[in-house]
Amino acid sequence: MPGLLSKERIIAPPGFNRWLVPPAALAIHLSIGMAYGLSVFWLPLSHAIGVTAAAPGDWRVSTLGWTFSLGIVFLGLSAAVFGRWVEREGPRKAGVVAACCWGGGFLVAAAGVHLHNIWLLYLGLGIIGGCGLGLGYISPVSTLIKWFPDRRGMATGMAIMGFGGGAMIGSPLANLLMNHFKTATSVGVQETFVTLGLIYFVAMLAGAFGYRLPPPGWQPAGGKPPQAKTMITARQVHVGQAWRTPQFWLLWTVLCMNVSAGIGVINMASPMLQEVFGGRLIGAAGALKDLTGAQKTEVATIGAGFAALLSLFNIGGRFCWASLSDYLGRKRTYVLFFALGIVLYALAPHAGRLGNAPLFVGIFCGILTMYGGGFATIPAYLADMFGTQHVGAIHGRLLTAWSTAGILGPVLVNYIREYEIDRGVPAAGAYNTTMYILAGLLVIGFIANALVRPVSEQVFMTDAQLAEERRLAHESGSRP
Amino acid sequence: MSGTGPSSERGRWLVVLVAWALVGIPLAWGVYRTLQTAVKLFR
Repeated sequence: MPGLLSKERIIAPPGFNRWLVPPAALAIHLSIGMAYGLSVFWLPLSHAIGVTAAAPGDWRVSTLGWTFSLGIVFLGLSAAVFGRWVEREGPRKAGVVAACCWGGGFLVAAAGVHLHNIWLLYLGLGIIGGCGLGLGYISPVSTLIKWFPDRRGMATGMAIMGFGGGAMIGSPLANLLMNHFKTATSVGVQETFVTLGLIYFVAMLAGAFGYRLPPPGWQPAGGKPPQAKTMITARQVHVGQAWRTPQFWLLWTVLCMNVSAGIGVINMASPMLQEVFGGRLIGAAGALKDLTGAQKTEVATIGAGFAALLSLFNIGGRFCWASLSDYLGRKRTYVLFFALGIVLYALAPHAGRLGNAPLFVGIFCGILTMYGGGFATIPAYLADMFGTQHVGAIHGRLLTAWSTAGILGPVLVNYIREYEIDRGVPAAGAYNTTMYILAGLLVIGFIANALVRPVSEQVFMTDAQLAEERRLAHESGSRP
Repeated sequence: MSGTGPSSERGRWLVVLVAWALVGIPLAWGVYRTLQTAVKLFR
């Protein structure tokens, strides 16, 4: 009798509705998406000892910020290292382990807050939680692609949209919980961590147990599976072979450049709007530094609104662009991302100089749709190039591009801004060079995407190798 | 995959609806809260 978490136990029975799989994937991605919302804890934690104000021994916000960076690094590492294991053992086992890591990570972090030990916080939400992020992120990818062979982009777009939307639920929920738990002697973070850890554990377990795999040879009724075309293969590449191909590294560059540019914007969105437009945002004259305290608060509120609007366009882009890629083709979709992105980044400084805030906001909303779209379309691009057998594992290895971009993007943006200000450039113009450099990153991505060609014949697995892989993956028969 | 009858088919779609509601309602709440912040940009 196969174990409760084994692949054999989750083969869908006759009559199973494939539309049950995306909500299962969303339950996991919405939970781990809280990684983007962790910053909501840093300010309260920066006066965990002093409670009302920072006291000696309290952590700095910059020290706490490393938790997120560690989490993203371990997301990439765990997805790369355990991708093959996820493919072999199936999405349910991967989802359960991810639930233990992400939910358990919050509990370890709560212990870190209780003992005021920063290393426990790093271990909980950075390392253990980061592994949960990686496993959770890739767990539904190949399953969704197999259930929706006719709409690969849309299917993975739905799940990856959840990762973008997780912080939208988690951040306000965390604020509500912290307000509920805070007392005269506590900022309420420890109790909030425990509560969120339990909520995410249950939600992710529900998602993991909701996963089903299609039976061998299954095809959607009335759906048209993608026909083998120049850029869509019907054959399979082994993960160990895929990462040795130029196509893998070209797609790695595509993702890295797209994410580096977008992540840089996300990090600086709110201060950028405030510094570029200053008092004009509230109908007052003068730069940000010349405003009164009350005016600065008003401008900061508008900046927060801008950041919120960008997050909506980010998640909308994940679903819309990935779905559109099913019709346009993956390569053309990325051509659009990069071509439009280059134009928009180059236009942004002009919108700033013109003082046209709606145009400026519109440009960045457009950019953020393509940032999200880049994330959501890449699994389908990989499936088109390398086949579906190892797509989850290949996607896992490709996510190291995200880890790299998570460092490259913010470093580029922050250091260039500081360099410009040190050179005497006014704060309102300090982002112009950054915009042109980010446009330059997209030029590199455009070239990498243009160079993507179908993989050569000798890279594909032979029938015997494929049969052995399917045996190792506890599969039998043919897969779509 | 084909169903065995109209009522079982309806039951399956009901389960789908419930599953989507379980993830859709929290997501809609998150989007609503985000929109509340975003509208400050246009005031």
